[in-house]
Amino acid sequence: MSRKDLNIWAIFGAPILVFALSLTGLIGALLGDGVWDAVFSTLLASTVVVTVWALIRRRR
Amino acid sequence: MKTRTIRAWTLVHKWSSLVSTLFLLMLCVTGLPLVFTHEIEEVLLPQAWTPANPEAPPLSLDQVLAAGLALHPGEVPAFMSFDEDRPVVNVTSVDPNGPAGKYSFEPIDRTSGEVAPPVAGHPVMEFLLQLHTDMFLGLPGMLFLGLMGLMLIGAVVSGVVLYAPFMRRLPFGTVRARKAARTRWLDYHNLLGVVTAGWVLVVGATGVINTLATPILAYWKNTALKELTVAYDAPAPAGERASLDAAVARAKQALPGMKLQFVAFPGTDYSTDHHYAVFFHGDTPLTTHLTTPALIDARTGELAAVAPTPWYVKALSLSQPLHFGDYGGLALKILWALLDIATIVILGSGLYLWLGKGRRKPA
Repeated sequence: MSRKDLNIWAIFGAPILVFALSLTGLIGALLGDGVWDAVFSTLLASTVVVTVWALIRRRR
Repeated sequence: MKTRTIRAWTLVHKWSSLVSTLFLLMLCVTGLPLVFTHEIEEVLLPQAWTPANPEAPPLSLDQVLAAGLALHPGEVPAFMSFDEDRPVVNVTSVDPNGPAGKYSFEPIDRTSGEVAPPVAGHPVMEFLLQLHTDMFLGLPGMLFLGLMGLMLIGAVVSGVVLYAPFMRRLPFGTVRARKAARTRWLDYHNLLGVVTAGWVLVVGATGVINTLATPILAYWKNTALKELTVAYDAPAPAGERASLDAAVARAKQALPGMKLQFVAFPGTDYSTDHHYAVFFHGDTPLTTHLTTPALIDARTGELAAVAPTPWYVKALSLSQPLHFGDYGGLALKILWALLDIATIVILGSGLYLWLGKGRRKPA
């Protein structure tokens, strides 16, 4: 059985999204306080959320 | 990707990782408790001290300076800094004829002029910090860890490149949990590695910049700060100095809305021979790390210059919060800890995959 190779976007789509979200979170949290800390920390938390999602849903 | 290209990146990934893994593991393990330094010390250290006269009007800076210097006759003032959460002014002085770098440090209660207990870190945290910063080897240790940080950046970049050939038939996030341990750990390594890449690059790169703190500050003192002294030929003698309070007030006028951070006296590392350098910082998480000195002529008390720090000092200043993760509340610290643990798993699994390689049956 041979499956077709994924293209570059299928491979890197999710990682690029997480990369962009975490960098925005890292830098954004520098710019504001209070509520903004929570908002930007949530963006950085995308790393943890995606990992937990993968460990549950993509385990096989 | 061509086989030859993959092989080249594999070499980069293998060697940049192998050279640095043990040091990076040490940095991650010591860094984990260091993220919570503030919280840990709040629990471990006694918090008994209170100011003598909380209601009294604060002493003037000149009075505080006199109180500090009275404890060390013959010494001249070097620095004055201000505690953030208690009315304490720290007076650092130095014997002009003594050995270089030997300072006296007196925290003075601004409500009474008495000595307050110093704020010292917990010995265990200080030990971890020193190990994390320079492994007790001073500047060479710091620069060496900086080099390990560069290796880390190389390993992350090459790892992201190699992610493509490994994942070309696996949907994002796949963990083949029922396959052999090696396959399973390869999947964990790839998933955690690619997901944490942004954070690891930021913490790694800012860590590298922090290891360059000593040369960066030395360069700043020897170039930009030095240029401001050209007009003078003789240092301002201690007896002919303008009032410190007046100097700080004049500096505040020049930089309205900013918070006083510390004062460097003439002749010290952070000033010139002729100026009070009065350092201010802003009050947002970003600007609180960006300092701006106003130079006040120590003889006349007049404003000589506002000298915004050059870009490389700003880069150093911003690298500290971005490395320590202490700028966004407890939630950010917890994320820092989780990502630190993820990095330990990546380093460990990488080592495991490399060690297991020899025992793999030839194909």
